[in-house]
Order: sequence, then C-alpha cells, then structure tokens
Amino acid sequence: MVFEFMSRVLGKKNRLGSKDLAKERLKLVLAQDRVDISPQMFEKLRRDLAKACAKYVEIDEAGMDVRFDSGDRSLALIASVPVIGTKRNPVTSNRRGNMD
Amino acid sequence: MNGKVMVVTSGKGGVGKTTAVANIGCALAVRGKKVALVDADIGLRNLDIVLGLENRIVFDIIHAMEGRCRLRQALIRDKRVQTLFLLPAAQSKDKDAIMPEQMKELTRELADEFDYVILDCPAGIERGFKNAIAGADTALIITTPEVSAVRDADRIVGLLEAEGIDEPKLVINRLRPDMVKRGDMLDIEDVIDILAIDLIGVVPDDETVITSTNKGEPAVLDGVSRAGEAFRRIAARIEGEDVPFLSMEAPDFWGRIKRFLGAGR
Repeated sequence: MVFEFMSRVLGKKNRLGSKDLAKERLKLVLAQDRVDISPQMFEKLRRDLAKACAKYVEIDEAGMDVRFDSGDRSLALIASVPVIGTKRNPVTSNRRGNMD
Repeated sequence: MNGKVMVVTSGKGGVGKTTAVANIGCALAVRGKKVALVDADIGLRNLDIVLGLENRIVFDIIHAMEGRCRLRQALIRDKRVQTLFLLPAAQSKDKDAIMPEQMKELTRELADEFDYVILDCPAGIERGFKNAIAGADTALIITTPEVSAVRDADRIVGLLEAEGIDEPKLVINRLRPDMVKRGDMLDIEDVIDILAIDLIGVVPDDETVITSTNKGEPAVLDGVSRAGEAFRRIAARIEGEDVPFLSMEAPDFWGRIKRFLGAGR
C-alpha cells in the first residue's frame, strides 16, 4: 500500500493492466466453481427469481444479470433486474382476494 | 519420532510442484532435519531426475508397498545432503496400483523415522491426487500468478477441506516483478485475496531453477539463486520461524526514486 502510494506520488501512470481483467474474470468463475450448482439448476433459480420479482414489478427478464460473487471463501448471489414499470397493486393484481 | 506429513499439490500441472518438493525438502535437510521425499506421481516419475538421483534407483514405492523390498531399501540417500532421502515413484505402473489406505500406512511408517515426509502430488484431482493426500497432515498449494493455475488451486483448497486437511499454505511460484509492476500479472495480494488462504512463500521466476534442474542440483544448494533463497525461507517458515518475505519490489522502487531525483537514466 505504501508502495502503491509512493509509485503514484512518483508519477506512475495508473493505467489498467491486463491483471485487473484477470482478477475480475477469476473472481466470477471461482464464484460459480465454488457454488457447484449445475447450469440447469442455475437457470431454474434465475427463472424463479424472475417470476418472484414479476409478481411485484414489471421486469425485463432478458436484461437480467444473475450471478454468484465471492469474497473470502464466502458467497453472495448478485442479481441485477431491470424494472420497466411498477404495478399499482402488486400482489393483488395477481392473486386477487388474498389481501385484505 | 513423529514426523510431519506434508503434501505439495496444485491441481494444474507444470506450475512447479516437483521443483518445490525438491527444494523445500533439500532446504529442510540442510537445516539438519531428516527428510523423506515421496514421489507420488506413479507412472510419471520425475522427482528423481530433478534431484539428480535418477541413476541410483533399484526399488520404488510399489516394490516397497507390495513387500518386494523393505521400505528402507527403496529409500535413496542423497550424497550431498546426508539427511535427505527419496522414495521414487514406479515408472512402469499406473496410479491405480496404489490405494489411499496403503499410502496412509506408508506415510505413517515413514513419519516414525523422519522429521518431514513430503509428498510430490501428481497433477489432477483423480486417483493419484486422492492417494497423495491420503496420509497428509498438512498441505502446501503451489500456484503461479495465472488464471488457470489460480482457478485450479481454488478447487484444490475445496477438495482438501473436504478431506479434513484444513489451513493449507500457499506458495506463489514464478512471480515476475517486472510484469507485476506493469499491471500485467496478478500480484501477491491479488492471489491471496482470491484464494483466501495463508501465504507461506513467494518464489520469483528465475532462470537458475532451469539450470539447476538441468544439473540435477536443487537451487537451494546454489548460494546466489534468488529462487533458492525463496525456497530456503519457505523451509524456515515451515519450521516456525518468522522470516521476512523476499522483497520483489525493492530494485524497481529504488530505480524509480533515482529517476525521480534525476540520478538514474
């Protein structure tokens, strides 16, 4: 860290090297490796997630980005779900009569 | 004696497992420890030639396991470092010639006589890997700062954990400080960050490893080899010493200071 600071002070250009790409790609692929979930199961998870979101808001399912991310040997499921519009009466519009 | 059984593994081939085993084992022996190196890569024997002991093999690990010779007869004593021994792999058999249970028994027997039993694990995660880790108490994972090697190392961490070998230690091999400087190679912190295991050593990419392998003399026996120095430090850390890491950045750092002051170039 000290070194990084010094090299910045000493005018090292802070360009992005190929290692940043390597690290990013590795992190993603390792997250997938670590969950050890089949592509079929993952697809099912993605679809169920879309279905669950669609109950409440209008989403663009094709634009969804779902993936696992990992840090320190722990995992997180990261989902980015584009919302096209909101529904006025979310759940009731699907399951009329269930709400009071 | 109740020696430590350590497996050196990586998943990916060609990252320097055999070289690491030869050098770390040799460095521990130079420190006065009694060390047995076991080539667990059945069918692809290599530790013998890296150590320069290829012409002295009479019996191998399979002979010893099958009771065709005594274990002591299969062990080759290194002439340079008297406390270093090699148990060579069989060249004509394949990995299925051994069962994990036999390996456990063999390493236990060796651990009675030696301070360190170091196993050179074959690449891959199949039978040969399972055999090699069967009797191990601890593991060293070797990786290079490349995506494929790091990915495989991560898989190995998981597999070792599943086998009850916790807290493996990491060796980053063939680091090229010049490329790290340019941002074109994963640096030490990147690799630790990704794998989330403890680092025990960093070995610079060094031509002397190739020349010493050509001669069959571990680089740790060469006083000027940078890689040899890195392996000696790993041996010291295995022994519980708190040794500083080889400074990979230093020359370039001072070079930059000089340039900044207008003294260099």
